[in-house]
Amino acid sequence: MPKKVPVRLRVNGEEHELHLPPQRILLDVLREELNLTGTKRGCDLGTCGCCTILVDGEPRLSCLMLAKLAEGHQLTTVEGISPAGALHPVQKAFIDLGATQCGFCTPGFIVTAVAFLRDHPGATRDEISRALSGNLCRCTGYVKILDAVEAAARTLAPAQER
Amino acid sequence: MHLDAFDLHQPTSVEEALALAQRHAGKFDFLAGGTDLLPNYKMHLNVRPHLISLDHVAELRAFRPEAGWLGATVRLRNLEGSSTLRRRYPGIAEAAEEIATPLVRASGTVGGNLLVETRCFFFNQSYPWRQALGFCLKADGDQCHVVPQKTRCYATFSGDLAPALMVLDAHAEIAGPGGRRRVAVADLYDPKGDGVRRTKLGPGELLVGVQIPPGAEHLKAKYSKLRVRPSFDFPELGVAVALEEKGGKVARLEIALGGLETYPRLMRAQTSPLVGERLTEERVKALSEDLVKAVRPVHNTFLAPDYRRKMTGVYVRRAIGALRSGS
Ligand SMILES: Cc1cc2nc3c(=O)[nH]c(=O)nc-3n(C[C@H](O)[C@H](O)[C@H](O)COP(=O)(O)OP(=O)(O)OC[C@H]3O[C@@H](n4cnc5c(N)ncnc54)[C@H](O)[C@@H]3O)c2cc1C
Ligand code: SF4
Ligand code: FES
Ligand code: FES
Repeated sequence: MPKKVPVRLRVNGEEHELHLPPQRILLDVLREELNLTGTKRGCDLGTCGCCTILVDGEPRLSCLMLAKLAEGHQLTTVEGISPAGALHPVQKAFIDLGATQCGFCTPGFIVTAVAFLRDHPGATRDEISRALSGNLCRCTGYVKILDAVEAAARTLAPAQER
Repeated sequence: MHLDAFDLHQPTSVEEALALAQRHAGKFDFLAGGTDLLPNYKMHLNVRPHLISLDHVAELRAFRPEAGWLGATVRLRNLEGSSTLRRRYPGIAEAAEEIATPLVRASGTVGGNLLVETRCFFFNQSYPWRQALGFCLKADGDQCHVVPQKTRCYATFSGDLAPALMVLDAHAEIAGPGGRRRVAVADLYDPKGDGVRRTKLGPGELLVGVQIPPGAEHLKAKYSKLRVRPSFDFPELGVAVALEEKGGKVARLEIALGGLETYPRLMRAQTSPLVGERLTEERVKALSEDLVKAVRPVHNTFLAPDYRRKMTGVYVRRAIGALRSGS
């Protein structure tokens, strides 16, 4: 039997008590133990951004994080980005402007963009494109993704600047 | 990709980390941000049975840019986000913001960047890939596929911070079984080494942080990087320059080069003759030609070695020009 250690994770506001081998990667645990399959495994090596989640509100690559080392942090996956049944303005803009094709990269882009616009409401297209430079998309050519995040930035700016 | 089994240790102090390192001598790696180590572990490159996480060692997180101190586990994102660091040490901020992607920089640390594993086409590959070709000297095998022989590895040092720190004469604080010591960042690396062991850190030694000496904030400094995808890739060449001129003459000039050889190099032999001289166009040209002659990249990254050498001269001339014109 492989050695297991207790791992307590707080994901989207919910506590989970798990027993896992210490080498388990957070991404695998989210997908395989907690059935949170919105977070995608692309490269598994830190290059594509598909596995991005928020750790204490900050976008991080879950494929390069040990689950055990995520203890004590607030984790938010794409499933927890907006309240059940509602859409975050970034999600809505992705739908309205057709910013997804196969959709595999979409959760990573949305999570990264949500955190970026929270800290930089009203960001310019240039700033957005730099902030999203760690997320790869093999389908869209990025134009519509940038359009969508820019549109969301315009929706969010007046609300957050007050 | 699944990781081989290991025990994970989570010390809360430098002393505890060192004690664990001694207990598991030769069988452990320190884990900081994991953005270099974990991809390598996933590819089964030199995997060890114990990982000592530095996450909970508060001392290593100290970040005091106003005093020139960068703790080993300060995140790269904090470097690029600090206006104090940018004002005092623009070369370091430039190097930091050009590393990898924003997502990698959110996890990657200063210490991990200085001690990053060297890279090679024949090394950064999956286990089956490497097995099919025949393992190499650096992992699981006994010969080099780049420079065919059996004694030295020529994998390329691809960290961006080291050159930017070296030109400021920054010192690394190292804690080990014998206590603490400080060495110049340039001396973390061993140009006479076999290229497999990539630093001069002793077994069980831990990097605590980096001290930039007082006065370095008065130098003009710049870091420029050649890479394939400008938002993403490891350096194919990294050029750091620090310059101070007094009365039209060079008071200090340091150049450090990364991304070319197995170790980042401080090019004192080429720059020191210029101290006390005027930096005329001819002298800058001659200097850049000397540097091109002195470096020996090999063909184990994307761009051809000859191109990287030529660009070394170009980047040095451009950087000096930019520093002198204040752009
Ligand atoms: C997609 C991608 C792109 C990248 N691009 C770049 C790039 O452009 N430029 C670049 O420089 N790097 C790049 N990297 C490599 C890496 O992300 C950075 O170098 C980062 O700074 C490494 O820091 P870390 O904390 O994640 O290191 P880790 O992976 O935690 O550690 C790296 C090594 O250092 C050792 N170590 C770490 N801290 C200490 C310490 N305090 N004392 C003793 N040993 C220690 C570890 O044992 C390990 O061997 C890239 C990585 C990825 C995944
Ligand atoms: S330079 Fe040679 S020994 Fe080193 S990693 Fe490449 S093939 Fe292996
Ligand atoms: S799956 Fe994590 S970066 Fe690609
Ligand atoms: S929509 Fe297919 S990868 Fe982005």
